[in-house]
Formats: sequence, C-alpha cells, structure tokens
Amino acid sequence: MSAFQDSSQGQGMPRLALIADRYNPFYLLGHWSDGRFWVVALLAPAVILLALIVLYPLFYGLSLSAHEMRLTRPELGTGFVGPKHFVAMLSDDVFWLAVRNTFLWVGIACVLEVGLGMISALALNRALPGLKVIAVLVLLPWFLPKVVAGNMWALMLDPRLGVLNDILVHLGILAQYKAWFSDPATAFGTAVVIEAWCGFPFFTLLFMAGLKGIPNELYEAASIDGATPTQRFRFVTLPMLRNVMLVAVILRVISLVNSPDLLLILTQGGPGHSTLVLSLYAFETAYRGFDFGYGSALAVVMLVILMLFTFLYVRASSVGRQA
Amino acid sequence: MIVGSARERRLWNVATYAIAGFFGLTALGPIVWLVLTSLKTEADIVTAQGVVYWPSTLTLANYRELWDQTDFPTLFRNSLSATTLTVAICLVVGTLAAYALSREAFRGRQPLLMGLLAIRMFPAVMQIIPLFIIMKAIGLLDTKLGLALAYASFLLPMFIWLMKGFFDDLPGELEEAARIDGCSRLGALWRIALPVARNGILATTVLIAISAWNEFLFALMLTTGADTRTWPVGLQLMIGDFQLPWGLLAAGGVISIIPVVVLFAFVQGSMVRGLTEGATKG
Repeated sequence: MSAFQDSSQGQGMPRLALIADRYNPFYLLGHWSDGRFWVVALLAPAVILLALIVLYPLFYGLSLSAHEMRLTRPELGTGFVGPKHFVAMLSDDVFWLAVRNTFLWVGIACVLEVGLGMISALALNRALPGLKVIAVLVLLPWFLPKVVAGNMWALMLDPRLGVLNDILVHLGILAQYKAWFSDPATAFGTAVVIEAWCGFPFFTLLFMAGLKGIPNELYEAASIDGATPTQRFRFVTLPMLRNVMLVAVILRVISLVNSPDLLLILTQGGPGHSTLVLSLYAFETAYRGFDFGYGSALAVVMLVILMLFTFLYVRASSVGRQA
Repeated sequence: MIVGSARERRLWNVATYAIAGFFGLTALGPIVWLVLTSLKTEADIVTAQGVVYWPSTLTLANYRELWDQTDFPTLFRNSLSATTLTVAICLVVGTLAAYALSREAFRGRQPLLMGLLAIRMFPAVMQIIPLFIIMKAIGLLDTKLGLALAYASFLLPMFIWLMKGFFDDLPGELEEAARIDGCSRLGALWRIALPVARNGILATTVLIAISAWNEFLFALMLTTGADTRTWPVGLQLMIGDFQLPWGLLAAGGVISIIPVVVLFAFVQGSMVRGLTEGATKG
C-alpha cells in the first residue's frame, strides 16, 4: 500500500501540479479509494441507511407487538404487555376470518396468475410477426398504479355506469347490472380477478425469459420420440421452467400477503369482512383504529407466515428436484 | 416450440394469435376505456340509460378542470420531488454498494446479499407503524425527504440487486486495464464501470422511479398535508370529496400514467432483462 501510485510521479512532473492535485477533492478521493477501507466506504452508506430505515423499524415493530400503544387511549400508556396481543388474536373472530381470507386470496390469485402467465408466455414466445408488440402491451397492467387500476375497474363494474355490466347483459350472461362489490358472494371473487389482471404480466415476463433458455433440441428430440404437444409441455417445458416458477411464486406470494393496496381501494375489507385480509386488517387496526400495538402484532404474524411458507416451499421444491 | 406437419403448424399459429389477441385485449381494454372516459363529457359518463361507448363529443374539459380547480398540480409536483429524492438516494448509495457486492470478495458478502432479499419479506405495515412513530419524533413525518427515505427502505435493496446483476455482466478486465494505466479504484468505477453499465443503470433507475411514483400505502400513512401528499393519495381522497368524479379520476389516471408509459417504452428492453434476471437470480 504505497501512498502514491500515481504513474506521473518520478517522471519529473511539475511541483505545482502535484500541489494542486493535493487539494483536488476528486484526486484525494481517488487516492483514498486505493486504501484498505475501499469496500467499507462503498458499503457503509447503504448498510447504515438500511439499518436506520429497515432494521431499526423492524426491531421497533417487533417490540411494539409486545407493548400497549393506542393513540386514541393514551391513558393506557405504552407499557410492556408481553404476548397479550397474540393471546387476544386467538379469540378474535375477525383475525381468523382475515387469516382464512389471506390464504384464499393469495392461493387463488397466485394460481390464476401462474396459469394466465403460462398461457400468455407460451403464446407470446413464438416467433410470429406482431407478437413482440403484444408482449410489450401485456406488461402494461403491471406498471399501472393500483390507485388507477382499482378505480378503473370499479368504474367498469359500477352497478349503474359499468361497461362490463353492459357487455355481460348484452351477451345474455347477466339479466341486469350487478353491484359486484356490495354482494359478499361476489366481492371476493371480483377482487381476486382484478388482482390477477394486475399481477399476471409478472409471470408472463418471467416465463418468457425462462422459455427462451430452453434449447430447441430438447423439443426436437422429444418429438422424434413421438411425444405429443401435451407430453412435450409436461416433460420438457415444465421441468425446465421449474426454477423460474419457484422464484416467481415466492416473490409473488410475498407481495400478495404484504400489500393491501388493491383491496384498500376496491372494498376496504367489506362488505362485512368478506374481503378482509391480514395486511388490510393490520393496516386498518393501525391507521383507522390507531392501535399500533395490535397492528404490529398482526404484522408479526404475517411475517411468521411468510417465513414459514418460504422455508417449507423452498424445501419441498428442492426435495422434489432430487427425486 | 411447435414441431409437426404443416397443417398442424397452421392450426397452432391460429391458436397462438387467438390467445395473444385475447391477452392483448384484456391488458389494453381497460386502459383504453380509461382514456375514453377521460375524454367524455359528464353527461356521457353518467347517463340515464345505457353505457355510451363512443362519446358524442370528445372534450378535454376533465383535464382542464382537474388542472385548474383541484390541487392535482401540487400533488403531481409533490410526487415528482419525492420520486426524484428516492431515485437520488438509491442511485448514489445503491450503485456504490452494488459495485462492491459485484466486484469485491469480502467476508459477509453472501449474508449481506441474502439479507437484502429478506427485506422483501417484511410486511409494509410492519415498516410503516414504527416509521410513523420514528419520523414523527424526529420531524420527518409529512416531509418529502421522510417519504423518500421510506421508499428507499424497499426500493434500495431491489436497486442493489438489479445493479449487481448488471455489474456482474461487465468484464472486470476493463477496470483492471485502467488500474494498470494508473487509474485509482474510484477512477476506474467512475470512468470505466459506470459508463459501460449505463444502460443497466438507466433501466434500474426507471424501474425504481416508476415504483416510487406509483406507491400508495406509505404515502397514505406518512403524509397528511396538502403540500406533501402524493398523487395516488390525493386522487383516492378526491373520491370522497367530490362523490365519484369519474371524469376527473380518469383524467388524473391518464396524466399520471403517461410518465410511466413513456419511461417504460424508453428503456423497455434492458428493463425487462434486468427484471427477469434480478428475479430469477434472486
């Protein structure tokens, strides 16, 4: 680690330039970057920032879940209450309903999105003219803000002005306009379909990338062996997409469990509690009820569910691969 | 991949176009309806009988009213500053970290990479509640910097992962050559790595910008005043204020997604690559 590695040294560089260099901040920074703390200097800003905005809030949130903190009832104080909130959940019917809804919401949306993503990717991946353009258009729903997507669908499904109601009535599928979100029987299903519309392009994108990586010879070999298209899909395409599918499903499940945005805009958990999922329940508890302690405890439950899911899912998938 | 007789191929081609057409229509249909609604008069949106598919008169009245009579311009500007701040934080802090994670071998590299991924798992609500309390305590609540920092909590890890992927793709020999020529390590990063990786940087930045621009939940909780509220929150709140002003909402939606669509079109190729690689490697 010599102090000066500048090649100009020793070649009779004018003194003045050397002195000027010494006060040039870029020169100093560059010179300093050759020292031993280079890696630390590169990483420190990110690590410190993330510690402050992620780790500290995370531990704060964990500790909150064991404390009383209700902004509407400050007389309760902010004392330590141990597992009180978690015990309270056991007898909280709304909580169990939210847990059930979360599993349904994530499960159905994910299956729909994988299915739609697979079909669209298989079609769009073929080398036919015009498909490239459609492939780009199909990605649009994914970039659409939830506020816009949610309200747009709400307008199209409006019980008085909705164009989808109109189309369905004209096609003879519906007898009259339907208030999709006021009926507990349809609110959940409708919301899931809209979520699937927003999310399927993510799978299209990943599956298309995965399909590109499958060598053509595999298909040729399979068809020489007399494999039908269904068999080629089952024994060549699906196994080759396994890794992509594994990662895509994990990422999607995480964001489906964690983000209440769409339901917050479409139904706010109603009617009744028919579309209330855990993330929404936690958000409403904290934001509308100002019960930060119980809200944090609900979020901790979500985190535990996600960690368990990821662990089991990855394990199950890699066990399957060895077989 | 289709292999088979000519007749079989033709059949598959027809099926392919049918499926692609269906998906294209499904993806685009609602967006077209949004644009159409934004150009309709109030009478064509709220009709006594039936739905008006093609408006009798196309009008920009909704856009004009939104811009002149609501606080949408302020919302738009607030979002713009919050997004710019987020991008600036991620760009500076994230690029340095991504470069280190891509180029340097050091103890703790793998745990750090995994830790960054694990951040995705933390429920947003779990972040927001403590952030609300902390930011209130230090006066960052209801500020654009506070919002940008909150956004960085989930966008910075994503930025680092995607950028690391782009740096991994560059041959390290270029920087080594520069070092032999007397460049400092920072010089090699600045003069060689960054210019060569600029497409990747651009794509990642656009992705971060779009996510920050569209964000709803954090903004809803961490801003209350009209001078910090972002457009998604403001637009959602208009629903209560004006009783379903569909024309205004549609116009607001169209204005707000224009930057997204333009940016996306701009860097579509490298962004899609970065996204897929970022997701599959992660």
